[in-house]
Amino acid sequence: MRSTPFTHRVVTVLWLALGGLCLPGGAQADTLDEARRTGVLVWGGDQEGGGPFIFPREDAPEQVTGFEVDLADRLAAYLKVKAQFQQGQWDKLLDMLRTAKVAVVLNGYEWRAERAEQFEASIPYYVYGLQLLARTDDATLKTLDDLRVKRADGGRRKLGVLTGSAAESWLRETYGEAIDLITYDGNTDSMHDVENGKLDATLQDTPIARFYAPQFPQLRFVDAPVAPGHYVLFVRKGEPALLTAINEFLIVFHRSGEMKRLYSRYGIWDEAQTGLAQIYENARYFGYLRSVTAPVDDRGDSATTTLPDAEEVRREPVRKRGWSIVEQYFPTLVKAAGMTVVLALVSFPLAILLGLLVALGRLYGPTWLRLPLSLYVEVLRGTPLMLQLYFIFFLLPEVGINVPAFATAVIGLAVNYSAYESEIYRAGLQSIPQGQMEAALSLGMSRPLALRRVIVPQAVRVVIPPVVNDFIALFKDTSVCSVVTIIELTKRFTVLSMNTQAIIEMMAMTCVLYLLMSYPLSLLSRAVERRLGVGGQS
Amino acid sequence: MIRVEGLVKRHGALEVLRGIDFEVKRGEVAAIIGPSGGGKSTFLRCINGLEVFQGGRITIAAGPNGQPEQTLTRETTPRRDAALLQQVRRRVGFVFQQFNLFPHLTVLENLTEAPVQVLGHPLEPVRERARGLLERVGLAQKADAFPRHLSGGQQQRVAIARALVMQPEAILFDEPTSALDPVMANEVLAVMTDLAREGQTMVVVTHSMSFARNVSTHVHVFAGGHDVEFGPPAQVFGDPQHTTTRSFLEHAARE
Repeated sequence: MRSTPFTHRVVTVLWLALGGLCLPGGAQADTLDEARRTGVLVWGGDQEGGGPFIFPREDAPEQVTGFEVDLADRLAAYLKVKAQFQQGQWDKLLDMLRTAKVAVVLNGYEWRAERAEQFEASIPYYVYGLQLLARTDDATLKTLDDLRVKRADGGRRKLGVLTGSAAESWLRETYGEAIDLITYDGNTDSMHDVENGKLDATLQDTPIARFYAPQFPQLRFVDAPVAPGHYVLFVRKGEPALLTAINEFLIVFHRSGEMKRLYSRYGIWDEAQTGLAQIYENARYFGYLRSVTAPVDDRGDSATTTLPDAEEVRREPVRKRGWSIVEQYFPTLVKAAGMTVVLALVSFPLAILLGLLVALGRLYGPTWLRLPLSLYVEVLRGTPLMLQLYFIFFLLPEVGINVPAFATAVIGLAVNYSAYESEIYRAGLQSIPQGQMEAALSLGMSRPLALRRVIVPQAVRVVIPPVVNDFIALFKDTSVCSVVTIIELTKRFTVLSMNTQAIIEMMAMTCVLYLLMSYPLSLLSRAVERRLGVGGQS
Repeated sequence: MIRVEGLVKRHGALEVLRGIDFEVKRGEVAAIIGPSGGGKSTFLRCINGLEVFQGGRITIAAGPNGQPEQTLTRETTPRRDAALLQQVRRRVGFVFQQFNLFPHLTVLENLTEAPVQVLGHPLEPVRERARGLLERVGLAQKADAFPRHLSGGQQQRVAIARALVMQPEAILFDEPTSALDPVMANEVLAVMTDLAREGQTMVVVTHSMSFARNVSTHVHVFAGGHDVEFGPPAQVFGDPQHTTTRSFLEHAARE
């Protein structure tokens, strides 16, 4: 019932956070020094984006590999520290950078003016283009401009792209209303849909197109890549030391020929990369003017130690299917399910407790408490869990409150669900006849004692079914926590299905796991109901 | 031991009690009879602090074991005076028309709950005392049953035992047999008669004329928010002075 101080604090923090948004990010300690002191360089990426950037290792699906992983390892070695990968949702990576949850973002982010305004961009580490992919049996698409030609049925061409990607904006600008643009959240989803005929074509970044081509034998490249752009690393503003070190590393790495060898291993070295040499050797790239043509000495240290010979890391052309996939990935999914269980088991009791206090406060608390508590319920119930998690994880740091990812997930789930629980409890408490309270009072009980010993225990029994219902819902809502970098079952499913393309097997395993977790709960609740079941009053 | 002076209770514009003066001494049994809507139940609930009132005072006299005198007035509110009300309720028990047993507890637990939780008595002796009381109301074998498995009459007897286990100085009964059929009502009245014989102070709102006539020491007739007539049962039943009393008794006799 004492949750108003909390509500007050939330409101205060909200205002501070809104104010904070208008202020420049606080001064940070020198990240490079920090990394050297701790010996760790934390870099952010999203393995859901998949190959060839960052994707689960086939032999150890909880670890990541990919050309950006190798690049980060090399960079860290150059800085004489260890690279530590931090998983984050792709579109939230720059938020993680801003709130200092990572030191560097390295994950296929192209240079864009609006990004460079808020963050410091390195010189490019890759030159990408946009590659059009169509079906091999579709002869009507020979060049990009064939996109303007209507389909046989007279409709506009249907194109799939990654939401918010450079491909999406380029297509909109270039072809506008002449085509039908459909946006996807996963890289390979649109490639699937071209294959099965739902789409006519897809426009992909060259590394993705090249890396996944062997897995989509029914797709072919149409025309040469267009609209080249640059992938860059991002660090926070005011980090000249780290930025310079990164740029130096890229130049040294490139000059030694290691970069070419690394990219070739992933099958993504192409003509366009010659553009890198021009940028590196002229040392002119947007804001980056410092001349490094003056010798960056080849120190012959870890950065230039040779990689194993160009053995290509391209995927096997045949997709693995069936039992072998199940055997290989089931343990990984089970582990991710463990995170789901832990999240649910830790957060739900908190939600129940909070919800009960809120309900008691609203029903029996002092009058001044009721309005804030009603607000608490309405605000939390009326706004998405995802935004609440985002608020805790990415906005509270602006006012100096840093909550770790797991705690964020638990607090977010608990607080969000407490709003629902409190309404259930309120209904439950109100369903207990007035005579029960009077009988308890007439025996000399205080109001709190009567609530604790007489009213609440009866209400608890009434609300078991809806509460179990919510528990199961919360179980599934834990998947939203991937927004704050938690990898639980759904996130693991998405990452693995994206990377193995064994979507059906992954989905089946994931569903079975969710069912295995939630069905026993239903049974348990029924058993508890039977045991505690109270018939009608008197 | 309970003295009420000029008690006024209003529900909005409706005046339910219009200045009641009333007293019950230690060891007495006061029966309150009268037509429905006469304010009988409200009166009992005021004594136990379940209702606030707008005028007059209720005094619970100092007790034999050093309990101080306690007074309820129009200023007494459930929130501010919670401690005072708790003290009053520990000394004055209440038995409801609808029994109001705690459905999530067994019969025995219904009895032990308050002594253990409110008075802080150790569980074992309380259980012994509770079993003794169940024996007395004829329900020893039901100790471990849940209230929903008991008949109405049995539930009301448990409710009486639950009030008794707190060893109150007085017990208020609010139409304890009105929800029961005649057979079950008689079981309950037998228990109450038994209590009265042992000198338990009681205030009983009842429709049972036989209880009022044969067991009570005083009978009060409530009508229209007034205590219109009171006296020993022989006097009230044998020679009613007030017209309301007469018509009420005639109606009651016809039933």
